[in-house]
Amino acid sequence: MKKRTSGKSPGSKRLQNAEQLWPLRFTLNGRKVQARVKPTQTLLDFLRLELELTGTKGACLEGECGSCYVLVDGRPMNSCLVLAPQVQDRKVLTIEGVSRGDKPDVIQQKFIECGAVQCGYCTPGLIMAAEALLARNPRPTREEFRGTSAGAQATTRYCALSKRQRTRWG
Amino acid sequence: MHSAYAGEMWYIATVFFQPKTLAEALQHKADLRQGGIFIAGGTDLVVLMNHGKEAPEHLIDLSHIQSLTEIRPRDGLIELGGNVTFAQCARLPVQCLSQAALSVGGPGIREIGTLAGNLATASPAGDGSTALLALDAELELRTARGMRRLRLTDFFLDYRKTALRPDEMITKVFIPANYQTAWAKAGKRGAVNISVAAAAAALTPERRVRIALASVAPTPIRCNGAEEFLSITGLNRESILRATELVQVEVKPITDHRASADYKVHLSSVLVRRVLERLASL
Repeated sequence: MKKRTSGKSPGSKRLQNAEQLWPLRFTLNGRKVQARVKPTQTLLDFLRLELELTGTKGACLEGECGSCYVLVDGRPMNSCLVLAPQVQDRKVLTIEGVSRGDKPDVIQQKFIECGAVQCGYCTPGLIMAAEALLARNPRPTREEFRGTSAGAQATTRYCALSKRQRTRWG
Repeated sequence: MHSAYAGEMWYIATVFFQPKTLAEALQHKADLRQGGIFIAGGTDLVVLMNHGKEAPEHLIDLSHIQSLTEIRPRDGLIELGGNVTFAQCARLPVQCLSQAALSVGGPGIREIGTLAGNLATASPAGDGSTALLALDAELELRTARGMRRLRLTDFFLDYRKTALRPDEMITKVFIPANYQTAWAKAGKRGAVNISVAAAAAALTPERRVRIALASVAPTPIRCNGAEEFLSITGLNRESILRATELVQVEVKPITDHRASADYKVHLSSVLVRRVLERLASL
């Protein structure tokens, strides 16, 4: 958030509004969640910092890398670009909601069998992208996978993870 | 809450509105005068906020206004609501717009980012804006007090400057359904790709040609000289070659981290040749 440089006093009108927290209601991995959130907090930060669901990763924070993918009403979205209050009344699915207890779902199992990881950091994002693609199109052709759907992110993804970001996100 | 005192600086809190109707959103904007910022997808604004370059005082979130997400055919036109996303555009039967939409970002960005947001940001590299420019799109701009229609050719004024007034919102985009169109884009990689240059072309039922280019001027531009030349000669091999030469004179690219100005001039003529050949089925 931008730091304020002008000499306005804390009693100004702008700061009197400062206590506003947004009463957020949404469905997360099948459960109803209610929380009061900072309206400028991204969904990614809200999931990781407030709800401590750290499966969803953040790296570039500008919609390039896709490691923060979650499904909102079944559609893949970069959670670093969605503000938490924007998912009001929506259904959010994160990587934590994909598996059934300790049992990985089909896509996770295939990722394990194929060793489909590089450093592994963005794997939750890749799995969410694959979930979104296969939910809409259960038998995509190679071309559809590469060019027109979630696969574009998955196959030609570029890794935005610098050392600084790894340190920040742990 | 985030008005915590940190050394010499004060952190500013943001007041958030989430109107359910267009009228409420416009009224909020009018009440706040300059202070309120509309956020639709937020793919530009939230990046700036994440990097500490923007701290809006009041955000008016448009993501829960149902009426803005609709696509409707109307009088030979297609009416797109302001919240229509690139993912929705990618499923339209208008080739240059659907392909342009499909070339924007990744699947996640396309589900979040909106066409009206692309116009309002007015990036010279706006793929959606460029496709709409070739389509002779018309905009509906609303304030709490009234509404006006504006041709997209009159919308972009200068680098990231538009004819949008401070309290106005882009509520609808109208595009023709019966133009024959084509799209070509050159970027640095296969996905999540910003245009080094991109071209859209359309052929009207009266056989007039429209050509628009991205990333080769301070705004997305139309190539009027080449268009006029082609409307006289018609589309054939020689006229297309001559038109690509005219295009080279009309573009005003700058050298940046994506490519040199010279290369972008060359690229514009190549992309224009490709889209025109496709229109002419050569």
